[in-house]
Amino acid sequence: MSAGAPRRAPFAEAVRGRTLANGARLFVLENRFNPTLALSGSMRAGRLYAPPDRRLIASLTAGELMKGTARRTKLQLAEDLEGRAASLSFSSDASDPVGVDIGGSALSRDADLLFDALVEVLCLPVFPAEELDKEKKRLVGAIRQQQEQTSIRAYEAAMRRIYPAGHPLYRHKGQERIAKVEALDRADLEAFYRERYGASSLALVVVGDVDAERVLDRLEAALESWTAGPSPTFAAPMVPAPVPSSETVEVADKASADVVLALPADLTRTDPDFLACSLANSALGQSSLTSRLGVRVRDTEGLTYGIHSGFSATHVAGPFTISVTVKPEMRDAALASTLDEVRSFVAGGMTEKELAEEKSSRIGRFKVDLGSNAGIAAALDAAIYYGFGVSYLDEFPAKVAAVTREHADAAFARRVRPDAFTVVSAGTFGAAK
Amino acid sequence: MSAGAFELLKEKSGFREFRLLSNGMRVLLFPNRVAPVATFAVVYHVGSRNEAVGHTGSTHLLEHLMFKGTPEFDRAKGTAVAAVLEAIGARFNATTWFDRTNYYETIPSDALETALSIESSRMRRALLRDEDRVPEMTVVRNEFERGENSPFQVLYKQTFATAFREHPYHHPTIGWRSDIEGVATSRLKEFYDTFYHPNNATAMLIGDFEELDALAAIERHFGAIPSSPRPIPQVYTVEPAQEGERRFTVRRAGQVAWCGLSWRTVEARHADTPALAVLGNILGGGITARLHQALVEKSLALSVTVVPWQLRDPALFSVFAPVRPGVEPSQIEAVVRQEIARVAAESVTEAECERARTQLEAEVVFDRDSTDQIAASLSEAIAVADWEWYADYPAAIHRVTPADVQRVVLEYLHDDALTVGLYLPKPAGSEGAGDGGEEPS
Repeated sequence: MSAGAPRRAPFAEAVRGRTLANGARLFVLENRFNPTLALSGSMRAGRLYAPPDRRLIASLTAGELMKGTARRTKLQLAEDLEGRAASLSFSSDASDPVGVDIGGSALSRDADLLFDALVEVLCLPVFPAEELDKEKKRLVGAIRQQQEQTSIRAYEAAMRRIYPAGHPLYRHKGQERIAKVEALDRADLEAFYRERYGASSLALVVVGDVDAERVLDRLEAALESWTAGPSPTFAAPMVPAPVPSSETVEVADKASADVVLALPADLTRTDPDFLACSLANSALGQSSLTSRLGVRVRDTEGLTYGIHSGFSATHVAGPFTISVTVKPEMRDAALASTLDEVRSFVAGGMTEKELAEEKSSRIGRFKVDLGSNAGIAAALDAAIYYGFGVSYLDEFPAKVAAVTREHADAAFARRVRPDAFTVVSAGTFGAAK
Repeated sequence: MSAGAFELLKEKSGFREFRLLSNGMRVLLFPNRVAPVATFAVVYHVGSRNEAVGHTGSTHLLEHLMFKGTPEFDRAKGTAVAAVLEAIGARFNATTWFDRTNYYETIPSDALETALSIESSRMRRALLRDEDRVPEMTVVRNEFERGENSPFQVLYKQTFATAFREHPYHHPTIGWRSDIEGVATSRLKEFYDTFYHPNNATAMLIGDFEELDALAAIERHFGAIPSSPRPIPQVYTVEPAQEGERRFTVRRAGQVAWCGLSWRTVEARHADTPALAVLGNILGGGITARLHQALVEKSLALSVTVVPWQLRDPALFSVFAPVRPGVEPSQIEAVVRQEIARVAAESVTEAECERARTQLEAEVVFDRDSTDQIAASLSEAIAVADWEWYADYPAAIHRVTPADVQRVVLEYLHDDALTVGLYLPKPAGSEGAGDGGEEPS
């Protein structure tokens, strides 16, 4: 029925790449179907590199890059980009302790405008004090707003319990974060920028209606004189042994409660077990509708609207978590069913049918996700960020197909022990607490 | 395909609209070969607008039950809708809104048959079993409860409930809690039998396909489904003009107040809709927008969201903002009123208008990057007007002038048409700032 879309050349052939003398890596894929382009990129300047007692310097530095450069104020930058419907963003948060995410989009006629802004913001930020003051005020309010959210309260309390203070995945309490925000000044950001930002860890991917060689030339000319910056290497944070515990966080006037089950998992994105663990997790709990947890706790028992499990695996081994929302009175029933399903999954493993379906699903979804410029850019960016290279996109279906049930079951069971979970509930439990 | 199965009704901007002659179903095709991917969607012209007291939320609950089973796709047989779609890697879901319910799946284009067979099966053959409704009701109730956790959702639901007293936009799409809990399976079946028919649906296919093959497949799957035995009931309730400002306050535990101002405006098809969209962008579209500058840059609000609601019947123009702790919510209201008065008195600049037009026109270009984004935008357009409205939207936006923007402010954004809502945190006591209420169990 299809056969209309031209067969794509392998990504390894179609993507044009260039590595500059200062280490910056540039990748461009021409995709001429629509007059737009998507930009995705990364640098290594996340919270892992910030002082352990002030991790938020990393996210604030990334967030404040757009607040003004040596050439343009924040408002001028916004006028120039918004006036052409272009967007550019830099962000870094606890979900990836190592990286800073770069994202952007533009109509292809405005490609140069976007690239010029990108380079200017990366290389010439000034971190104006008055902008940081405004951001600190906003952030204090936003942290207080987060304290009203049961999902955030449960997740953060769980991270406090399973990781020691000082670990990049440890989360401070709201009041502590507010105090840390208030104590920051622009010198902290400027110092972190000077120490951590530079071309050696920068990778940029552009996909869309552009001339690849022209984009590479322009970005090279603009970036070649930028400092290389520090080596992006880091010492992997230790993965603590799980110490099961439980906690109830009381948040008043909430109709729905959040329950998070968490344990530290020894799994990075680059671990040879990653795909095997990820397929096993899909069968257990990635989808509220079709995974075992969803079929039992949502579809059969009606205890929740949403239940999900997953590994948070980046360059740093993060937690394995299961999160479920419930009417507070149903918490214990939902928790019991969830743990029961995890026990039986870990004890018995996946069925061959489940593994076959998860493989087929993963390969199909991979194709679907490559259906837009932004989707292709994100996939390329991730493949480069994790050191797999562009050809990973061509090899991915075969890598998924090669996973065996024995490998998936063993790799998963080694990391997810049903008796090792820390369980945190956040919501309005009152006497039921 | 039998050559005469479809009638080509219209083509424009790359879209081709057909009518399936056997039952009146509209079919919209838009080839877009960015990748070997396609999105198939069916939009039913039924939403919470078609509900009344006692069965609010029925459209949405029914949408959930549409995943529970048909004779062909049934969990008991190992062929649950979601499992079949998941196995091909589809990105799929269904959503319900005021004016429509839509079911969609983005799939590798060689899996189109799967999507067609699921959607044709559940168009008329959903089982709608009581034993499925009972656990699904509590699932939906938890969805409702999750919404109640969000101050923004509480504020916007209360805004519609206050601004609309007679028209069914009064009640939220998720429904009132006791209706979700109380509605019988038989009532849902009645709803299904009233509204789920090919002549009350538009199917759309976007992406990588050959037109003749696609039409033949659509006819094969949908052609034998008869049209509705009775005419589809139409909504005739009209909300009368508002004759004075309305206000409400919700008080709950929390730390951050919200303020919302909403004015009664027009239906999506109205000639003033593009000017209201441009106004919305000038007030709330990005850092340069007037309300961002006046509220967020002045450290009064944490953010600001401007929504020029576009619905089938006359709707609202809304401004919502979470208030920075320490700031009086009345200050937010005063600043929003001042900014609206400033547009009324002095209009907006041509540069502002140009920026807004550029952004709104570009949104349509960006839509075409992916098949599911076109499908999503097109679904909304079909629900509130028709697909041509979407195709013509960029040109309509392009014609908006500063004088149009000023005129719509004078015409609609006046105090008699205003509803002001405040979400206020209860005084501290039961809960301290930050993590004060936390204790290990």
